[in-house]
Amino acid sequence: MKIVIVDYGMGNIKSITSTLLFIGVDEVVLSSDYEKLRSADKLILPGVGSFGKAMAQIKSKQLDVYLKDLVVENKKPLLGICLGMQLLGMSSTEDGENQGLGFINGSVIKFDNSNLKVPHVGFNQLKVNREGKLYDGLADDPDFYFTHSYKMISSASIKQSMCDYGGEFISGFEVGNIAGVQFHPELSQNNGIKLFKNFITNY
Amino acid sequence: MLRKRIIFTLIYSQGFFNQSRNFRLQKVGKLNWLEKNYKFQKIAFSLDELIVLNASKGEKNLEEFASEISKLVNDVFIPIAAGGGIRTLQDAELLFKSGADKIVLNSALKNDPDLIQELVKKYGAQSVVASIDYKNNNGINEVYINDGNLKIDETLNEYIAYVESLDIGEIYLNSIDQDGTGFGYDFETIKSVGNNIHVPLIIAGGAGNESHLLEGLKLKGVSAVATANLFNFVGDGLLIARRKIISSKENVANWEC
Repeated sequence: MKIVIVDYGMGNIKSITSTLLFIGVDEVVLSSDYEKLRSADKLILPGVGSFGKAMAQIKSKQLDVYLKDLVVENKKPLLGICLGMQLLGMSSTEDGENQGLGFINGSVIKFDNSNLKVPHVGFNQLKVNREGKLYDGLADDPDFYFTHSYKMISSASIKQSMCDYGGEFISGFEVGNIAGVQFHPELSQNNGIKLFKNFITNY
Repeated sequence: MLRKRIIFTLIYSQGFFNQSRNFRLQKVGKLNWLEKNYKFQKIAFSLDELIVLNASKGEKNLEEFASEISKLVNDVFIPIAAGGGIRTLQDAELLFKSGADKIVLNSALKNDPDLIQELVKKYGAQSVVASIDYKNNNGINEVYINDGNLKIDETLNEYIAYVESLDIGEIYLNSIDQDGTGFGYDFETIKSVGNNIHVPLIIAGGAGNESHLLEGLKLKGVSAVATANLFNFVGDGLLIARRKIISSKENVANWEC
């Protein structure tokens, strides 16, 4: 099993890598090179930082073109994590109005902080969507670690799992070979380890 | 529901992890001592987060500190925040590259607000924790920077408002008076400032047993309780504390299967 983490210069790669190696993935590579991405069994799109800056980096490395080819056209499994999940959507209001990769029908907006502490930080419980393939062996309301100020909303049906913080938002989606999670499985103890195993086995 | 967090803070200084008492450090052991006496991989399963602070006096060796962080990260699947002596973007970048999920800033909040805003812009607010040390003097909470050595002019309330204006992601509020005493948190101050803080608040300084942690978790404005007390929670101390806290129905995450 070879997993390539998409490198656009942002995101905490080390904890994702160490979790994947811990569960027995043979090879974990960080790269933005088309051939390396193509050689992966599965891809992970990580991300910490701001949406606008991330999209600019992605475009400057032509990763938008590569990912469209590999993931949308050729159906290579992809898991987006945190900002990496948001980037798969249509747009975000972070750093002004920015277009995303547009693989998923969802848009990203800021949490309203008038009655809420923002960012949303800590473990929170999901409402798992059993139509999806990521949650085998997990409870219906498992705890996962979140840290974000922006959230994804969508009117489409994208097998979303939900989470509640001052109202429901999309904590994860699964559409064909494309999955995204707003939380950090690599920072979510046993639950995160199970989720990664499910991504590897079921995708 | 969003859970509250239990955080362990490791105080690092010149190659050693330390017990701090009112900001005076006492060497306890190196990383392998910690592994041996805490079975760190195991104990991390009773924690929501780890904060590692470089409290070395004078010039802090950031490279050495970063290499300790990268060793810690390998088998611990929880968020790690690291800080102490961050003065430039490159310092922060080094810690992120070494596996820190967040960085903790203290003196730079006062000395270099431009740096803070650059960091927030580059890494997002959620990656930047603002650490505030304060001490009570005749009923007034005074703020200190430079490892608790330099008093600044702003009172605690003024300073919190200023720090929030920098768009940081969380506040780590540490009472120098209570630090390392094991007498309990400075609940009076926490109650008075807690509800006016608009970002997640982590309280630190004084926790000596699980009832202190529990008492802190119950406060409305508090998002997380931290302890740096290596002695009081040695061995299974934290695991037992967490189990008691969960059994008392406090709202913390549960992933023991």
